[in-house]
Amino acid sequence: MTKPLDRNVLTVWKDVIFAIFIRELQSRFNDKFGLSWLVLEPLLYILLLSLIRSRISGNEVHGIPIFIFMLYGLLFIRLFTETINSTATSLRKDKPLYAFRQVQPISSVLAAMLIELMSKIGVFALLLLAIYLIEVDFNLDDGLLMITIFLTLWIFSAAIGLLFGIGTAFVPELDKVRTLITRPLFFISGVFFSLQDIPQAYWHWLTWNPVLHAIELARFSSYEGYGQAGVSLFYLAIMSLCFTFFALACYQLTWKRTLSR
Amino acid sequence: MIELIGVTKYYPSKLGRQYVFDDLNFTIPEGHNIALLGSNGAGKSTLFRMLAKSEYPDKGRIRTKKTVSWPLSLTSGVHPQMTGRENTRFIGRVNGIRNLTAYENRVQEFAELGSKYDLEVRQYSSGMRARLAFACCISIDFDIYLIDELTAVGDAVFKRKTQQALLEISRNANVIMVSHEMKEIRQYCDSAITIKNQQLDFYQDLEHAISIYQR
Repeated sequence: MTKPLDRNVLTVWKDVIFAIFIRELQSRFNDKFGLSWLVLEPLLYILLLSLIRSRISGNEVHGIPIFIFMLYGLLFIRLFTETINSTATSLRKDKPLYAFRQVQPISSVLAAMLIELMSKIGVFALLLLAIYLIEVDFNLDDGLLMITIFLTLWIFSAAIGLLFGIGTAFVPELDKVRTLITRPLFFISGVFFSLQDIPQAYWHWLTWNPVLHAIELARFSSYEGYGQAGVSLFYLAIMSLCFTFFALACYQLTWKRTLSR
Repeated sequence: MIELIGVTKYYPSKLGRQYVFDDLNFTIPEGHNIALLGSNGAGKSTLFRMLAKSEYPDKGRIRTKKTVSWPLSLTSGVHPQMTGRENTRFIGRVNGIRNLTAYENRVQEFAELGSKYDLEVRQYSSGMRARLAFACCISIDFDIYLIDELTAVGDAVFKRKTQQALLEISRNANVIMVSHEMKEIRQYCDSAITIKNQQLDFYQDLEHAISIYQR
């Protein structure tokens, strides 16, 4: 009657990721705010910071309305840090679940990635609605480029998160390093400024950082006139590819051992 | 039949690698209800978790064609912030149960949680949690059930129910059991495996194994 099915590997993965996904939603958002908090909290945060910034300095930055400028910065940096945090912590958080042989650590990472993606898309949609309502001029010149950047940064963040997650299983102190590293990134990734505000001689201090590339490119994709000086999609893509490969290789080598830790 | 082929398992520690098993070859025979006997730290739980594939050997592999349950201990995989029903569905999904509703009802009936089935598990007493975990496992039809120290589940009424369910299982399917209660072991098992000095030995006759184990 309730016999376990003979499933092929892909079906098992799909079932398990779906199960963890639902479980995450049910356990994380069972307070009164529920699911809406996932979207409302970053929305309020971005609105508030953008308003403050626009009060301080004019209404436009290099041809982009200040609100849109800030929106991309904050949305993308949050996509980055939060995907890192949730994928890195998912490995340890779901540890009791690995008692079920079908559940492998990578399934919790993938489920955490999906949740982040979903919530950030929700935030983005609501922000667009807010923009429409407060009648800020909004422009999207290259929607496809925007989606590409969004997804690439998402995968890049998950790869970094996975590396931290694996590292933490062996050296718990790495957890503190992670929070230490992600915080300053907030200030050097061009969230509040544009690379164009900085003398070209100093660019190399900043352009090693793929997140800066993602943020500046997102602004460019929205307003072509903003330009893409000093940043390239190729760099972002190649960094993501390398880190994803490295993270998956580390995972493949260590996942069986992380189970007994 | 479960085959262990060249299984090596160690844990890293300050004193270097602590070997639990070193190049172990063994076949756990089919059709027996088996007790695992061994002193504390002999590796019963490690073997258990490896049989269930909750952990993997550092070298070698474990091969079987049978469906094996997860190691049923008191609170395996139950999330405190989800309701009993949601937890059941999670376990069902993970294990590939097609008819989740039927599974859900079977667990609800067996665990006797009544309307509390729809409350969050953190509001359960420890006995109720154990009942839920036990019911979730027992309501799936595995070939082999791994049962770890089950003595303390629930009140007297539920204990009797557990006993009946386990007896039924030991007739229709097989159990591998860890317990320090010889009375319990005699009730459900017919043979035994002893673990000593990283070696496994199978004994057809349970009493013989117990006498060796207790010596």
